[in-house]
Amino acid sequence: MLANLAKKILPRSLWVYHCNSGACNGCDIEILNVLTPYYDVERFGIKVVGSPRHADVMLISGAVTRPTLPLVKRAYDAMPNPKLVFGIGSCTIGGNMWADSYNVCGGADQAVPVNYFVPGCPPRPEAIIYGVALALGLVPQQAAPVELKQMEFPIDMYERNKAWEDRNVIYELLK
Amino acid sequence: MATIQALTDQLKKKFGNAVTGVENPSATQLFIDFKKEKVREICNEVLAQGGRYLVSVGTDNLAKDGTLGLIHTFAFDKEHYFLSLRTATKESEPIESITPDIPNAGWSEREYMDLLGMKFTNHPKPKKLVTADDWPSDIYPLRKEVPFNIKPLAAENVAYQLDECPEGCSIVPFGPYHPTQHEPAHFALFVDGETIKGSDYRGFMIHRGVEKLAQTQISYNEIPFLAERICGICGSVHAASYSQAVEIAVGHKISRRAEYIRTIMLEIERVHSHLLWLGVAGHLIGFDTVFMQAWRVREPIMWLGERLTGNRKTYGMIVIGGVRRDITPELKQDILNVIGTIEKEMITIKNAIIGDTAIHRRTKDVGYVSTEDTIKWSLVGPVARARNVDIDVRRDMPYAAYDEMKFSVPVVDCNDVWGTVLVRVLETFEAISIIRQALDKMPNDGPILTPFEDAVPAGMHGITAVEAPRGEVTHYVITGEENRPERWRVRAPTYPNLQGVPMMLLNNQLADVPIIIGSIDPCFSCTERMEVVDLRNGGMKVMSQSELEALSRNKR
Repeated sequence: MLANLAKKILPRSLWVYHCNSGACNGCDIEILNVLTPYYDVERFGIKVVGSPRHADVMLISGAVTRPTLPLVKRAYDAMPNPKLVFGIGSCTIGGNMWADSYNVCGGADQAVPVNYFVPGCPPRPEAIIYGVALALGLVPQQAAPVELKQMEFPIDMYERNKAWEDRNVIYELLK
Repeated sequence: MATIQALTDQLKKKFGNAVTGVENPSATQLFIDFKKEKVREICNEVLAQGGRYLVSVGTDNLAKDGTLGLIHTFAFDKEHYFLSLRTATKESEPIESITPDIPNAGWSEREYMDLLGMKFTNHPKPKKLVTADDWPSDIYPLRKEVPFNIKPLAAENVAYQLDECPEGCSIVPFGPYHPTQHEPAHFALFVDGETIKGSDYRGFMIHRGVEKLAQTQISYNEIPFLAERICGICGSVHAASYSQAVEIAVGHKISRRAEYIRTIMLEIERVHSHLLWLGVAGHLIGFDTVFMQAWRVREPIMWLGERLTGNRKTYGMIVIGGVRRDITPELKQDILNVIGTIEKEMITIKNAIIGDTAIHRRTKDVGYVSTEDTIKWSLVGPVARARNVDIDVRRDMPYAAYDEMKFSVPVVDCNDVWGTVLVRVLETFEAISIIRQALDKMPNDGPILTPFEDAVPAGMHGITAVEAPRGEVTHYVITGEENRPERWRVRAPTYPNLQGVPMMLLNNQLADVPIIIGSIDPCFSCTERMEVVDLRNGGMKVMSQSELEALSRNKR
């Protein structure tokens, strides 16, 4: 659904704005890496721009920290519509290991509505390209979304075994 | 020569009763306890004896004896040991600042004003450093009674508390999000025309509370993985440094083979980081060919990292007691092939850079800092080595297997950005040679991981430094109860170097700002803190607003 929409509203070259909201640099160097000769996203018309006002897509990396929260919001507001947001890296999904630290607000969704997440710590350049291509409908989706249940902590042995079995059931379903 | 014995005698003789205790648990560690009244005199004496300031560590002992601890650490490079000066102060009593004599201590002290609520007298700039602008001034997150996940309500539209702009200058804001900066940090540049007359910095936007999380939430063996995520570029360095600090604190020996594998991983990381920096520097001066070529050459190193450790970056390789994965004979051959290719391509890149007049013109005489100022401000790493300061902890305080490696430390006396380019290119060749030597000499037997057999005793101190690609990383660990350190202090190389940036920017052109800031290879996520430093000269033309308006109207 979103892929069709994205294809419709952003039919030509994507201009990407890269916004670091509190990442460790790992995701940032992989984002830069996709521009370099081995991956070269410019062949798909994807280009990194310096200003959010020129951008169609925001790549946000890292957990959102307290000082950057208003800044990320402002950068997002500066982008012209229609726009998409990609969360790059595990930290954007709920904040990863920093999630509840005193200076961290949480994942990227605390600041801006995120359309797609690319997990990984850091995600490989291939994963970033695949994520963007998937969003634009250039490649078929190859994995089904899986809903995982949040367990109460601490988990005792019985529940742990049960969770393991549940996980195997999910893998059976995926096959 | 201030050997451990000579220095202890000298301090005891000069300060008498103020020195309350001396501990010398191993050949590289010296701890001296003293009374806080003499802090400034003792630090000056240590400087005079040839000590180099590293970092200060603030600790919270309120629950134990109602005091806040402060530890100033110094390195004696020629004598190969670390000196830690430990003192303590009551919560309400201030302690004298050492910043007037050691400018680099400015950030450390301001950090503890923010995080621990310490009070300092005579601090030249007692402003907020680490916590957010809307953070309440009576909550000190690093104190033990404050929970790690405290979230005071945010206020809206809080302005940065920046310095006042000198008269006759105008402010050019640089960041927090700037095309040449891949991490958020705000510089206020005070410019007179195109010339920079001063600057002010508000960073620490990536402060994620790493130290607090480590001290309250996770255990010794998990921290290396947290430490790796301090910085995505030089992660192994932090993991190695933390592991070493714990091993030194409790006197844990690891196998020689593990030390060799650590050496190889650290050098592989150096090759990758220097090539990365070279590319970024090319990009910053508008020379994208260098960016593309350097990153093309670098890519096989990332693939090699994946084959060695399972991940392209954030290796997760170095843990307390050794390393996680072994280097098999096949991988050894693989490493040799990859670094052989990289060496060949690096020679081409080196010749291209040295012969390129455009790069010379953009970098020579830009970001000038004299050798004396470099020493005074305790700058580290390639930034210092480009300014004729011969320091390298790999050689001065050998760790891992560096004591058996033969390598030279490139030092040049350009005192500018061009010097940092040269040093980094030359260091890449040295790193390749170290990898070859390490693979050659690596012992074939021995466990790669020697875990702790007993619980780690509490209250042990350990300090270590590791030469990261961008300078030296210093970690200070105090072991604690509950299977986690009581205090873990990380000092990344950008922490001292960023304090020297206003000095480098002074009297340079506005267009050179990105490359000057880039020349220290800034890593704000390592530094995680913020600062404000100003350096101005007087004697500028003063113009009132009406005069300026008149001038601009007349021009038209």
